[in-house]
Amino acid sequence: MTENLHIRAQKFFAQSLVEGLPHADQSWLDQHLHECADCAREIASTHELLHALRTVPVSVPRDLAARTQLRVRLRAQESAQTSQGNFLLWVITGFSWFVGVLSAPLVWRGFAWVGNYLHVPKLAVEMGFVLWWAVPALFAVAAVLHQKGFNISPSRGPN
Amino acid sequence: MTDDTQALAQGLSRRDPDLLDHLIELYQHRLYRYLLFLTGNPALAEDLFQETWIRVLERGHQYNAKSKFESWLFAIARNLVIDVSRRKKMPSLEDLGDKDSNQPFDPPDEHSISALQLLVSRENQQAVQLSLLKIPAYYREVLLLRFHEEMALEEIAAMMSTPVSTVKSRLYRGLAALKSALPEGAV
Repeated sequence: MTENLHIRAQKFFAQSLVEGLPHADQSWLDQHLHECADCAREIASTHELLHALRTVPVSVPRDLAARTQLRVRLRAQESAQTSQGNFLLWVITGFSWFVGVLSAPLVWRGFAWVGNYLHVPKLAVEMGFVLWWAVPALFAVAAVLHQKGFNISPSRGPN
Repeated sequence: MTDDTQALAQGLSRRDPDLLDHLIELYQHRLYRYLLFLTGNPALAEDLFQETWIRVLERGHQYNAKSKFESWLFAIARNLVIDVSRRKKMPSLEDLGDKDSNQPFDPPDEHSISALQLLVSRENQQAVQLSLLKIPAYYREVLLLRFHEEMALEEIAAMMSTPVSTVKSRLYRGLAALKSALPEGAV
């Protein structure tokens, strides 16, 4: 029996394990194994190896499932609270934006009147108006970042 | 798409705690074994097990019920292993993302091996288990998924986001590597 036949048998066997073998090739392999004790032994040993691989006992650490269930439930609760907080934040932000837009002409007139009465330069009045608009938005952004756990302290390094 | 997977997707989407408890119970052995085979480190496998379920909770709405739940679950676990291996610069796990690397896997430390050794009782199983630690992680992974989980080649490929041909070639090479890693006379 030539060396090529043994190599072919090994190749077919590996193929049968990984992706399956066409019927004709399977018949040829069966016939070869019937005649060749060396190949039959080699293939039996691979079968044993796979059997050992399939039956390797792995025991899950005690309470791992219970600990995981608890952790998942706690995280779910935490997320529910956070999303409730986020919802409130959105409602407040939306409301303040709505009121801000509606009251803008009135506030602008108020700023202009105060500026005129106190003889404040026009630029200062305009800056005051911009601040009146920007400060609540900056507070809202800071609150969102704080809630999401952003660390804006510059003292920490990259590691 | 079956009614079961559809119901599962809906339950995950609304973060049903009872469903998650049931799934953790149901998949604990398979998921832990997968993580242990991949990392070779029981403590790390335990951490990643918990982290995987936290991800399932947080990303449950992304499960579209088109694939099997276990494939989606294992894909999450796999990505976590890759993240951890990159963060901790573990070369063997880094290889998971490297399709054609042939660097052998060196067990991280003696403690990990002895911890794994405790898990096996029979001589052949012990030989196989130790030999598994000597072959690259990406071979261990496909061998486990194919011969232990009995997943189809297409499922494995989808889970790993690689072509089926890559899965096949890893299986052929993995089998050969495992056989040659076995000590003389074992199995």
